[in-house]
Amino acid sequence: MIALHTKPAMAAALASLLFSSSGAAQVNAYVAKEQSPAAKAPRVQIARGPELESADESTAIIRWTSNNPGGSDEHFAVVHYGTNPKELDQTAKSHIRLNQKHAETVFRVSVAGLAPRTTYYYTVDSAQASGQSDGIRSSVGKFTTPGPGERIMRYPQPN
Amino acid sequence: MRANVLSAVSGALAVLVGALILSTTAAAQAQAPQTSSTDSSSAPVYNPYPPGILPSDLNTELLRVVREVDFIEARALSKWKALPPPVLTGQPPTLQNTGTAAIEVLGELMNYDKSISPFRNVACASCHMPYVAFSGPIPSVNLTMVAYPGTVHFRAGKRTAQRYTYSPFFPVLQYNQVQGAFFGGNFWDSRATGYLLRNADAEQAQHPPVDTQEMGNPDTACIAFKLSKAKYRGLIEQIWGKGTLDIDFPPQTAQICALPGGAAVFGTNNTPVPLGPEERTRANIVYDHWAQALDAYEQSVQVSAFSSKFDAYLHGSYTLTADEKAGYDLFRGKGNCNSCHLDGRSTAPTPPPPEGTAPNSQDTGAAADAQPLFTCFGSANLGLPLNPRDTIFYQDKPDSFGFTANPAGFAFRDLGLGSFLRSVAAPNPNATWTQYAPTSDGQMQTSTARDVAMTPAQCPTTEAPGPYFQKEFFHNGYIKSLKQLVHFYNTRDVYPYKVTSGHCPAGKTEKVDCWPMPEVPNNLDRTIGSLGLTDHEEDQIVVFLKTLSDGYTRPFDNADTFTGSCMRGGSAKTQGNEFLIPTPPLPTCSASICGVPPLPGPMPIP
Repeated sequence: MIALHTKPAMAAALASLLFSSSGAAQVNAYVAKEQSPAAKAPRVQIARGPELESADESTAIIRWTSNNPGGSDEHFAVVHYGTNPKELDQTAKSHIRLNQKHAETVFRVSVAGLAPRTTYYYTVDSAQASGQSDGIRSSVGKFTTPGPGERIMRYPQPN
Repeated sequence: MRANVLSAVSGALAVLVGALILSTTAAAQAQAPQTSSTDSSSAPVYNPYPPGILPSDLNTELLRVVREVDFIEARALSKWKALPPPVLTGQPPTLQNTGTAAIEVLGELMNYDKSISPFRNVACASCHMPYVAFSGPIPSVNLTMVAYPGTVHFRAGKRTAQRYTYSPFFPVLQYNQVQGAFFGGNFWDSRATGYLLRNADAEQAQHPPVDTQEMGNPDTACIAFKLSKAKYRGLIEQIWGKGTLDIDFPPQTAQICALPGGAAVFGTNNTPVPLGPEERTRANIVYDHWAQALDAYEQSVQVSAFSSKFDAYLHGSYTLTADEKAGYDLFRGKGNCNSCHLDGRSTAPTPPPPEGTAPNSQDTGAAADAQPLFTCFGSANLGLPLNPRDTIFYQDKPDSFGFTANPAGFAFRDLGLGSFLRSVAAPNPNATWTQYAPTSDGQMQTSTARDVAMTPAQCPTTEAPGPYFQKEFFHNGYIKSLKQLVHFYNTRDVYPYKVTSGHCPAGKTEKVDCWPMPEVPNNLDRTIGSLGLTDHEEDQIVVFLKTLSDGYTRPFDNADTFTGSCMRGGSAKTQGNEFLIPTPPLPTCSASICGVPPLPGPMPIP
């Protein structure tokens, strides 16, 4: 009964709050941009890569750069891979500590136990500490491992 | 009055320094140590080491540090005597006015007290001296042994001596469900959890006195017994009350406490001092007071000083030089160091993409934390190679007391946090944590970057060609300069070789363009390893790290006590490489370490 009587007033108040919230959100967003431009990206996506960083006959490192996926600082970079591009049934993941102060993060995964002179196909993803995916999906990439004693280095070396 | 006393002490120190420099120089020419002249016991020296593992100046350097320790202890006694007694008043009763100073000076007195060790030859400070921010004080040990000799010469531990500075600021160890990671604790493996005293640093102080490889008391009650006979007993009673040390120790206590822990005569008995339940409880309370007083000292502004150039910079009273600023920008930008070594700033300027990751190079961030600690309190496996110089590997034979520190020899692997969670390294007080051992193997605590570069004034750097003070870095001392440290973060995955240390291919230089494989390959942190920093950028980060050394805004307490020698020559890139030795063929990891469930995985540890 009381609720019914107050309903119009509540609706007005709600409308007012919505309006002011909207305004406040804009102000906060502006402040946040000034003080913390690297907060979780509105749309999490890969900015560069994925690409082969390096490989020898049994190990490869895949790297890519994403904008900030937010979530837990403790993060995992994940690669799904296999020798059949339609059957990426193996997974490798590496520990990454997200720098929430950076707008972008370099993710790197070491994939071990590979066969020499073999072509592998892969997609990448990243995940929070809980295992929850960041929802990043790359198209299928590929790399070929070198022969024994050989080494590929794609990422620029320090000078 | 007090200033006059200090001035007189300083004068005496100058004379002492002159005398010691002469004796140190002569001692440096001594041969490999066969006997221990600092050891007041008649125990034979334990030397299971092949030639060249122990540094040739070990005995003289241990003596040097003993003299320095005694000098600071005398200073602390004077400080205590000059302290007006606090007045116990109020509700709850509080030691008004000088209570803080009293417990801090008590911790200081304890820290430099050799009489706590069974052979009265080792104080806490023996491995933690103020002029290197309370890390290892002997350059030749830092270059070779990694760990420091304990009361039994030459038993030694397995890891580098961690700095005291800021250790009290680490929280009680906790598993964070959201982050899926551990935060807090003390020690490289976080085994001082703080579970009971609710203070990780205080509990840390309870380990070395009864660690067989360190002070080596056979029973915690021995510390209570020795404190009851300490010169500063009155101060303990002043703080915790008359009667606090009135424990009815049986007559054989002195004899028991003069034997090192692990001696066969003790069997598996961890409480060989025969005390009844009530007396045992009183001794335990004294041991908690020991811990709290040492924590008070370490947390005091004398130790955790917040007096660096960087603190002055945050305050606005120091302007970073161009290289320091560039190094700082790299530290929190391209180098990504502040992903773990949190710098308390809210934004990170970096170069524009593709080298950098932030959108611009503007420093728009205010200091979110006025005294950032440069650690996240977490742990990581950085993939350090096994260091075959680590003395623990050689202690596979019994000493004269019938004790063998490491029966596994070179099958020992340091799994860090993982071994603690399995109760291999020390009892884990929380069974719900054990399940996380496989995801924690190889992880070691993220040290604060503060004071990593601190050296005594006469050796103003850690870096060759110097004059420099030889330090050692990370848990196993594999890295010998800050240049190497930054280069390791930068290039671990750029120059990886599937070899152990000492076996880099011809034409490659270890630590320059060859990094041997990790000791523990599991849970490797890939945040680092290929940062794309140039040689010059690495140098700039080193320059920045030096701004984190305390003692800029005011002198660092007791930093003037180093009486040893600096080193000169060479290059920071290859500093200490002349002491690299080939790792022997490694047996697989001992079942006593890697065979304890939950087993390491998903890959077994080699």
